[in-house]
Amino acid sequence: MSADTKPSLNAPHGQLRTTRRRLLAGAGAVAAAAAVAPLAVACQQQPTSKKSGPAKVVVMTDSHEFGDDDRKLLQDTTKIEIELVEADLTRLYAMYAAGNPPDIFRVQAAGIPQYISRRMLKDLQPYFANSKVLKIDDLAPANNFYKSDGKKVGTGDLYGMVKDWSPDFTLYAYKKPFAEAGVTVPSDSQPLTYDELAALAKKVNKKQGGKRTYWGFVHSNNDQWIDRTAMNMLAEKNQSLYSADFSKLVIAANPETLKVVRYLFDLAKDDVHQNPLDPSPNWMGADFNEGQIAILQYGFWYSAMAESDKTKGNVVFLPAPTWSGVRRDPTMTATGWVISSQTKDPDAAWAVFEQYMGGKPAQDRAKSGWGVPGLKSMYPLMPQETPFQKQVQKVLQAELKQSEFTLAFNPYIGEETFATSWKKHLEPALKGSISFDKFVANIEADINTAIADGKRIAGNN
Amino acid sequence: MSAAARPIAGSSVRAVAWRRRSARRALTFYAFLSPWLVGFALLTALPLAVALLMSFTDYDGFNLDRVGFVGLENYTRALADPDAQHALQRTLILMVTVVPIGVGVQLALALLLDQRLRFSGLLRTIFYLPHVIPVVGGAWVWKLFTDPNGGLLNAIIGIFSPDTYIRWLVEYPTVVLSVFVIWAAAGGGMVIFLAGLQGIPTEYREAAMIDGASPWQVTRFVTLPLLSPVIFFQVVVGVIATLQILQQPILLTPGITGISPGTVPPRDNYVFVGHAYNAIFVNHLFGYGAALLWILFALVLLLTLVLFRTSGRWVFYGVQQ
Repeated sequence: MSADTKPSLNAPHGQLRTTRRRLLAGAGAVAAAAAVAPLAVACQQQPTSKKSGPAKVVVMTDSHEFGDDDRKLLQDTTKIEIELVEADLTRLYAMYAAGNPPDIFRVQAAGIPQYISRRMLKDLQPYFANSKVLKIDDLAPANNFYKSDGKKVGTGDLYGMVKDWSPDFTLYAYKKPFAEAGVTVPSDSQPLTYDELAALAKKVNKKQGGKRTYWGFVHSNNDQWIDRTAMNMLAEKNQSLYSADFSKLVIAANPETLKVVRYLFDLAKDDVHQNPLDPSPNWMGADFNEGQIAILQYGFWYSAMAESDKTKGNVVFLPAPTWSGVRRDPTMTATGWVISSQTKDPDAAWAVFEQYMGGKPAQDRAKSGWGVPGLKSMYPLMPQETPFQKQVQKVLQAELKQSEFTLAFNPYIGEETFATSWKKHLEPALKGSISFDKFVANIEADINTAIADGKRIAGNN
Repeated sequence: MSAAARPIAGSSVRAVAWRRRSARRALTFYAFLSPWLVGFALLTALPLAVALLMSFTDYDGFNLDRVGFVGLENYTRALADPDAQHALQRTLILMVTVVPIGVGVQLALALLLDQRLRFSGLLRTIFYLPHVIPVVGGAWVWKLFTDPNGGLLNAIIGIFSPDTYIRWLVEYPTVVLSVFVIWAAAGGGMVIFLAGLQGIPTEYREAAMIDGASPWQVTRFVTLPLLSPVIFFQVVVGVIATLQILQQPILLTPGITGISPGTVPPRDNYVFVGHAYNAIFVNHLFGYGAALLWILFALVLLLTLVLFRTSGRWVFYGVQQ
């Protein structure tokens, strides 16, 4: 083709030839139109309190806890379509940030104060007051974690409910390491002190040629719940990780707090607890099932899976240890459901919530043994058939008397904030790059900055 | 109609027709281009602009109704943040390690497979395979490979040195991360280098060999200069990809099976985007996280510009620039 047969080259300038300027201008126009179109449509929508058409509720929860059978059962009972979204904190925050949170979502106790302070949750008190399925008098003490008076968690209106719960500071002992170490398995009626526990852990801890045989004492879900463990220990002495108004993390300046932090640090330093220098590739529950942990601190719910092929017949359930003789064994997870304050159909969301918490799914959960039911009237449904289940129930019934206590989580920080800082600074501290005092100072600096950020945002309310 | 007016009218009609045709052609052009433009506008340009705006606010992901303007506070905070500095330092170390070695490995594989080898098709498939394995799967492979109890790496070393017990992910986390990243990217880069090698006319190499050049001299003085634009491209892409690394250090964290807030990689693998991820999803500082990411964007831009500025000294395009 000759040059003069190419129309673009011969066309008058600015008429046929696509110049860079025209391309950009056109592209900008198309992009602007594309960006504006959905906004224009959105602007025309009328705000409604309720969606039109058949009710649909989006539930963000763990698919292991809420399977397809549960979803179908609830759909048939409530005649409400349920869309399941897998529980994922990152996704939850992203959905909130996008203004499209799930109607119902799964939470744990440590996150609740922050969600309430940020007005993310719907006050369910009126619904509970009128419910024939979920009676307020029948609620297990763990539901107090879902109560707030606007300032403090533990009293006031209900914002959610536990799906089930456990006194979470109980212990599971695997007999084999005790036998190998020539140590007697502790009594299931006399609680250990934390000091006795640490001494015992060192005796049953075992490594051969650098390789791990048994962990002595593993707790806090791979340190993800390290602050909860510390808070419960401190609560025995009416102490807290935080100042009374939650405006500061106080470790170094409070000898009681420092002692608890030092205790937990030493468990990692003594290598009896999983730590960044000697981590486990697994979740601690799986390690216990594999017979690699001598003493595991976990709630009652874990009894449903504590006996694996490897550990069967060799597991003993023990009461929660005590820090100062004043026993407390509350839940530290209080896993349950809440309803978003931004739900467009609160009645439909409540209908699903109510059936899940008080209907057949709740009864099925109670019978399964995967936790203490959220309703006291369902306590008798817990399984007591095998010798292990009977032994567990004996200990559990005593522990339930110690469980009417609510841990006061800081409303200005996220549920992962403390643990993230702990894990971040534990590695250099264990390596000796920083001292224990610096370890503490670093955590205080991280958390107090996070608290200041949280307070500033909450102060904008 | 006068005779004089007729040509003017004719010219006017032609001009209108010309303009219509021109408009139609432009419309067609933009219609074909629009899927990409819309995607770019909504999925790239708009989020970038929103993130820039967000970086000047105290947005926490939930407080859209009461979000406040904080000016440059997030940027000044980032510059003074010791964790951000540590993360940036580790990211830069990763970059200066991974990019040259990674590009070298890709080039070596491409040069190897550019020879007439038996089973070259099979070898290409084997070398390319890691590139198509999802990052989560790849990380699991490396976690199993480096597992201190029964991992293949310790088992191999154990042949020569019994009772070897090296906790690779604890003692050498950056080495494992670097090798993982290089391994995962090798196949993709190799294919690009192979395409570049096959674009070099064989006459050049043959002429050099006739002139008595050894295979090494042919590679050094003929192949590599002609391949330098591809090397340059791979370096630029490698620098950008390494600075943006996030999933790999998290997935290689011992005991972790997925990406979630609160996962803390070994301190040596604490990278810059990971710090931004923590700021956003652990501490709910969306504004601060956005500022961190814009700082990273500026750094990526700066490094890319530096590479472009220096490219004139070592990149041979075969035509005058």
